[in-house]
Amino acid sequence: MGPVIGLLALCVLLSATSPHFLRVDNLLNIFRQSSVNACLALGQLLVILTAGIDLSVGSLLALCGVLMALMLKAGVPVLPALIATILLGLIMGVVNGLLLTRLRLPHPFISTLGTMNVARGLAFIVTGGFSVSGLPDGARFLGAGMLGPIPVPVATVILVYVLFHVFLTRTTVGRDIYAVGGNKEAARLSGIPVDRRLTLVYTLSGAMAALGAIILTGRMNSGFPLAGQGAELDSIAAVIIGGASFFGGVGNVWGTLVGALIMGVLRNGLNLLDVSTFWQTVVIGLVIIAAVWMDVLRRKGHSPA
Amino acid sequence: MNRNRFGRIWTAAALMLLALPTLFCTGDRAPSPRVALVAKAMDSEFWYSLREGAERAASEAGVRLSVLAPQREVYIHEQVNILEDQLVRGVDALIVAPAGVAQVVPVLDRAASAGVPVLIVDTDIDWPQKAAYVGTDNREGGRLAGRFIVDRLDGKGSVALIRGIPGVASQDHRVEGFLEVLEHAPAIDLAANQSANSERALAMNVMENILSANPHLDAVFVTSDEMALGVVEAIAAHGLQDRLIVVGFDAGREAVQAIQNHRIHAVVAQDPGLMGRLSVEAAVRLLNGETLEPFIDSGTELVTEGDVDDFIARREAGFRPASPSAPE
Repeated sequence: MGPVIGLLALCVLLSATSPHFLRVDNLLNIFRQSSVNACLALGQLLVILTAGIDLSVGSLLALCGVLMALMLKAGVPVLPALIATILLGLIMGVVNGLLLTRLRLPHPFISTLGTMNVARGLAFIVTGGFSVSGLPDGARFLGAGMLGPIPVPVATVILVYVLFHVFLTRTTVGRDIYAVGGNKEAARLSGIPVDRRLTLVYTLSGAMAALGAIILTGRMNSGFPLAGQGAELDSIAAVIIGGASFFGGVGNVWGTLVGALIMGVLRNGLNLLDVSTFWQTVVIGLVIIAAVWMDVLRRKGHSPA
Repeated sequence: MNRNRFGRIWTAAALMLLALPTLFCTGDRAPSPRVALVAKAMDSEFWYSLREGAERAASEAGVRLSVLAPQREVYIHEQVNILEDQLVRGVDALIVAPAGVAQVVPVLDRAASAGVPVLIVDTDIDWPQKAAYVGTDNREGGRLAGRFIVDRLDGKGSVALIRGIPGVASQDHRVEGFLEVLEHAPAIDLAANQSANSERALAMNVMENILSANPHLDAVFVTSDEMALGVVEAIAAHGLQDRLIVVGFDAGREAVQAIQNHRIHAVVAQDPGLMGRLSVEAAVRLLNGETLEPFIDSGTELVTEGDVDDFIARREAGFRPASPSAPE
């Protein structure tokens, strides 16, 4: 409930300070602007539920985006190009998972730090540093299209959130993910295939980065190797603001969605009020600290030491 | 009961955070036209001068001007968000220095279809609806740098190029103008051509690497001052400051000082202050129903050790607002 109240309080205050905040086109802007972060954060949530971290999502976003744009420019039809983009994200995610579970790199911070740099570098290599623009209209649909009054990226985000909600709460594998994050040893002893679950969450995180890439590429009408710089940190922030515990085992998809929206609303509102980006950065930093502080309080509340 | 407590904490936190921006927000109700200038970043003297020039012109013309920018030049999506938010907020004209040439087009299309005129400043883009481009002739600037280096080297030697983000027109044009001149100087060898994202620290690293690979380098053209100032540090660290010719681009105060100190040998001068002023003046003319010429040139010249003092004197004079304050 905490994040929701925070979001509502923000909205009330912004409607009071800016006459433009509550307008429909502005709210649609917020949803559109938050949709890429919401995708990355959903993947990041699964990873953080297992007490892991995925630093590679911003770079995967760039790599998937430029490869999608290059495929489209080379004449690959839209649907196969989008499927290939998602597959690419899945493969990069599998690599992240295997680095952790097979090579036994000591912490996902390290394995994903590695792939973050590899993917960013590859994005520059395949494009020569240039952005790839001028995409067919069909490719822009997922990023910039409308389904009646609803922007397609927003509908897409809602759909994947519902799917992941069902997956996490109604399936054994989903519940395993919480168990792995709660206590890895206990999960292993109770017969959960921990390594497979870990590989799975990084794989899904890669796929969500690819979905984010599809949306961003459509929205920006181009794939560019600079895309998603700092996006990994934004996605982590959304998950944490959304009430997930950095230590694993606690969190849910709706909190993460609200976390992503809080960040989107803050940035949008501060833009509407002409607050310089420097101050926006300060404010978002303070919100992260406040959210984690609540995580600390919550842990105290649950297990009085 | 715990939950309640969190709710209150959240609300309190949100209230405190939101009190903050009201300190910085400007009045919203006056009838004068509203213009937003969206820069690429606000992280170097260039952008501060541009903002200063724009703000002076705005206060003279009685225009309400907001100047906004993403945190870093590479945060292209953030610039797109800022533009979208300014459109919602309602502006009479937009002045944009595009951080991403292709990426801003969809949002500029939206501005155009909402009837908001768009002026492009500093970095030209190929977008047919723009009201005008206000800025430097960057290709000519690149040529000036190329000719200077070719002259100083008597037509032969080893040269490096350090540039900003590829795909950004202002950067691409400087590079093209420079390479155009080198093509006509067959004895000049382009030993390195690297990007340093217009960031000082990165440019220093890049230059160090270039010097390790090419110890006999004779000259380097750096397509922005911010990077050139990093490059001279790398050169000084290698003890090559007496031999290597450095040419920068922008002519901000720090770089001009570096010319006086013989650390940089020449810079292609842009006049960001004039650029900011001309862009706001053009917006005002546009709002008065005038049609603009498609390219409004804010001037380009080469500043060298020989004429740096003269340049400073002229700029000091030029920086005074056109109207009231008389020179001391």
